[in-house]
Amino acid sequence: MNFSGLDISILGPAFAAGILVLLTHVLLGREVIQRGIIFIDLAIAQFAGLGIIFADTLGIEAHGWAIQLIAFASALIGAVLLGLSEKWLGKYQEALIGITFSLAATGSILLLANNPHGGEHLKDLLVGQILWVEWSQLLMPLLASVVIVALWLLKRELFKSKFFYVMFAIAITLSVQLIGVYLVFASLIIPALVTAQYTDVKAVSIAVGIGVAGYLSGLILSAVLDLPSGAMIVWCLAVCGLVFTLTINHLHKINE
Amino acid sequence: MKINLSLIFCLLLLSQQASASTLSVFACEPEWAALATEIGGNTVDVTSATTSMQDPHQIQARPSLIAKMRQADFLICSGAELEVGWLPVLLQKSSNPKTQPGNNGYFMASDFVDMLDKPAKADRSEGDVHMAGNPHVHTSPANMLRVATVLTERLSALSPENKTLYENNHQHLVQSFADAMVKWQPAIQKLKNKKIVVYHHYWVYLEKWLQLQQVATLEPKPGLPPTSNHLSQLVNQMTNDKADLIVYATYNDSKPAEWLAAKTGIPMAAVPATVEDWKADNALLHWYETVINTLAKAIV
Repeated sequence: MNFSGLDISILGPAFAAGILVLLTHVLLGREVIQRGIIFIDLAIAQFAGLGIIFADTLGIEAHGWAIQLIAFASALIGAVLLGLSEKWLGKYQEALIGITFSLAATGSILLLANNPHGGEHLKDLLVGQILWVEWSQLLMPLLASVVIVALWLLKRELFKSKFFYVMFAIAITLSVQLIGVYLVFASLIIPALVTAQYTDVKAVSIAVGIGVAGYLSGLILSAVLDLPSGAMIVWCLAVCGLVFTLTINHLHKINE
Repeated sequence: MKINLSLIFCLLLLSQQASASTLSVFACEPEWAALATEIGGNTVDVTSATTSMQDPHQIQARPSLIAKMRQADFLICSGAELEVGWLPVLLQKSSNPKTQPGNNGYFMASDFVDMLDKPAKADRSEGDVHMAGNPHVHTSPANMLRVATVLTERLSALSPENKTLYENNHQHLVQSFADAMVKWQPAIQKLKNKKIVVYHHYWVYLEKWLQLQQVATLEPKPGLPPTSNHLSQLVNQMTNDKADLIVYATYNDSKPAEWLAAKTGIPMAAVPATVEDWKADNALLHWYETVINTLAKAIV
């Protein structure tokens, strides 16, 4: 047990990053589950990573705006390809997503075969560490979250169109660098899955509530038990989702 | 009420005195935690960010690391870019002025020893090369004693009232190393000029001390995992010029070493990369002894 890590200035930025990510990922996650394209975020994150490594091999410096634009661009290319495939392949789209994921992931390994430094960029991109987040890093994700939430409130039909893949690419490229691919996947799928039976605003508010409970308990437990924060939050999100589902089922039985 | 207040006042004074005389030390690796404990004795409160089973190049962020860095009066690490993946961001997050670069509480061991493996030019195609030289300086007792001398001065400057204690502890450390060197002579003689294959380019300072010849590494380039092509080249190399021992750290994957040992019949030895229990008495001495004895015993 260790209580020195329970400090708002240590856990605050990480929690804020989690909330920003949750706000958009709950909305996107519902769509991902409805379309049955669960592993799309892994594929798109790998695409962003592949772009960064490719840029690195070409000798473009690994910091600043250039690399961000390349990450966005390659995630977008991946998203557009997958968006087009929805029309061509129909029910086989999920298979293509799987193939894209493994091609992008192994493509990075091949490009990196002689360059261990590139591996660090890939790791930064895929396993971003939520605890290292600074307030200043939250500006771009905040803007993206505001835009995506506004579009959901005002132009919901965009979520049903091909434009969904563009929003998705932008949100994933930002969130993966902030909190890492495992936590992005958990934030996208778990709250949306356990609230899939509900509709609209009710579903989204319950999902955000479960997400907030998961992030809060995960950060507190990781501080008290002295364990890595990202992995701990993933488990707490899963436990919160499970507890919610069991409670609801139990209440339904009592009512019957 | 009056008694209570004075009691509280006394307690406050006591606690302030306690915090004034205890230095809070943040060590990046267990070997430096051990050294700080040897010199500082009970005037230092030491924590280590990593254990001997972790690769210090990369660690996962835990809230306690930031909390401990905030409280730290003194930071001791290997330096030479070994912790470049996490220490700068940890220092930034902690915003503790005492342990920032350039201040008295910032201590990088590799600043005080003669660095080996300094690359002539920055060439990233050569793998995970550190521009400042090989950062694993703790693998030689001579380096450790050099660092101990500077550390004693630095701690004395931070906590002048304990200067005598630090100097006595330092003397004791120097003496115990000198005694051990005599005791280790048979093993040192046995290891002299032996040819070894290592997993990672980790033991250069140990090799210089024990006059071991490193003839190959299991990694094709530093930081890259062994490839089948490289391993089969090693088998060829060993048929022409057989090494005496394959050495890997306990935190490395043992499979490549086992594979090469099975193909070539060369004995292998797994040695802890650093001090395993840094809180124990004579932890440093005990670790060097384990390394030397394990190596000497493994050689037929």
